[in-house]
Amino acid sequence: MDWQALTLSLKLAAITLLVLLPIGLWLGRWLAYQQFKGKALVEALVVLPLVLPPTVLGYYLLVSLGGASPLGRWTSDVLGVQLTFNFLGLVLASVVFNIPFMVQPIQRAFEAIPTNLSEAAAVSGLNAWQTFVRVELPLAWPGILSAAVLTFVHTLGEFGVVLMMGGSIPGETKTIAIAIYDRVQAFDFRGADQMAMLLLVFSLSAVAASYFATARLVNRR
Amino acid sequence: MQNTGLSVKIEQDHPMRLSGEFTCEAGQLVALVGPSGAGKTSMLRVLAGLLPAAKAHVQVGGEVWCDTQADVIVPTQQRHVGMVFQNYALMPHLNAIDNVALALAEYPKKLRREMAQSCLQKVGLQPEQQLRKPAQLSGGQQQRVALARALVRKPKVLLLDEPFSAVDQLTRQGLYALLAQLRQELHIPIVLVTHDLSEARQLADKLVVIDAGTVLQQGTPDAIHLSPRNARVAELVGIANHFQGLWLGTSETAGKARMQWVIFGHNPENCPVFEVKDKGKLPIGQNLTWVIPSDGLTLATQPDNRPNWFAVSVKYARYLGDISLVTLACTTLNGLEVKLLLSGPSRRLLESGLQLYIHFNPDFVHVMPVRGMISTN
Repeated sequence: MDWQALTLSLKLAAITLLVLLPIGLWLGRWLAYQQFKGKALVEALVVLPLVLPPTVLGYYLLVSLGGASPLGRWTSDVLGVQLTFNFLGLVLASVVFNIPFMVQPIQRAFEAIPTNLSEAAAVSGLNAWQTFVRVELPLAWPGILSAAVLTFVHTLGEFGVVLMMGGSIPGETKTIAIAIYDRVQAFDFRGADQMAMLLLVFSLSAVAASYFATARLVNRR
Repeated sequence: MQNTGLSVKIEQDHPMRLSGEFTCEAGQLVALVGPSGAGKTSMLRVLAGLLPAAKAHVQVGGEVWCDTQADVIVPTQQRHVGMVFQNYALMPHLNAIDNVALALAEYPKKLRREMAQSCLQKVGLQPEQQLRKPAQLSGGQQQRVALARALVRKPKVLLLDEPFSAVDQLTRQGLYALLAQLRQELHIPIVLVTHDLSEARQLADKLVVIDAGTVLQQGTPDAIHLSPRNARVAELVGIANHFQGLWLGTSETAGKARMQWVIFGHNPENCPVFEVKDKGKLPIGQNLTWVIPSDGLTLATQPDNRPNWFAVSVKYARYLGDISLVTLACTTLNGLEVKLLLSGPSRRLLESGLQLYIHFNPDFVHVMPVRGMISTN
């Protein structure tokens, strides 16, 4: 069992979740409530990471953020930060790769809130923030919860994008999925088996628990 | 005493046509009536600030809520309106008390619950029901919660958007009584949107008739019923008997004029002529629509010595509980139909095919000029 890889994966999943949750809340809510020209294009962009092969996504991220790109050069010259083949690059890739998993369930959850509830809140004197906290969040909560769980679990299992953007540097970019691949390459099926089983059990439990919790939250109304 | 009445003026073509003005005094209940899609709810939403209007002026007492010319638009939150939405719009995740307390964000936390409970008590929601979520309450109980939420903030105006449409007749009567009682205590303008005319007549001091986004007429229910401004208003307020006519000008009797009943497919020479009230406004030859309420019609087995009796046969009589709706065909007037609401025990004797006589009392005839040709349907 590669504990280092497992810890790295958990850390990556947690940071991805923390970074993506506010973005997902804002973007999902915005897409749910706003009607504008080109909305379909924005929605398509949000879904894109889901349908593209991870290698394609990883390739473009590598090209646009790598040391040879203007952005990559700027961050390394001005900020002294490299965006590829390190943990930061992994986080960036992971955030982009998980956008659909975070945004879509949140968008659906906000869309499901009847518009007259926000109007009723406004008539009751609640400002936009109070309406968000007291009306929208509690009603969208099941969707937000499943978005968070999906994102976390999906990050744990990430392989293609991570490999393209981070390589396989132990303790820096070698996640559990890559460790499993390495074990199989080395014909260490026992080592691979343990980690694969752990990932399987954890993912299944997390998703099942979130479904269970969602159903309870919805039934409580 | 300070004027706390509401005055509304809206004039816009886009995104939808809304045009007209009306007022509502404190303590008064004004009903906006009209067919579905007429713009009643949109008017209400402009009042609440939920719908931006291109050109509008809304004022309550000394406060201007919206004056598009002066660029004044007070946000909904600061308008202090109480609004009951069509499907109540209660928060499904909160119980009745918390739903009402939600409208009390500006009060200290400790006070909110107490105020919400006392308000729910006032609208007749039992203490054990107050802890239930909307899904566990009946339609009528949800309605009471919505009303409590609208009132708890001490609103300056109460807006009711088809509040009674989703509850059964029995519950509705209870809610009417509650509203009547609250009206006495509140002394604020109340605006009710409804497509139910009998509800509007029962509750409102004033009707505002709206069609295709335009205010056509406003006045007390009986004033509108007795003298609708035009044929469309007559139709919208449910006056069953409207006919076509031709203005013949002043008659020999002072203050009267003659009007010919125009009946499609009937020889004009044989069309009846009535002597009706003359306000001296209409030119000779003016095409008219005229209406007559049930009060001006008498049904009898034999005519008496007054003029304006016509032979009719009963087409059908529909029993509507305490009243019956009778459709009669005027046998000598090309079978023209007259509808009549009757009450009392004698209406039970009416059966289709029965030959009777009907009297038109010209004093009850109300005429409305129509432009151009008379439509024949």
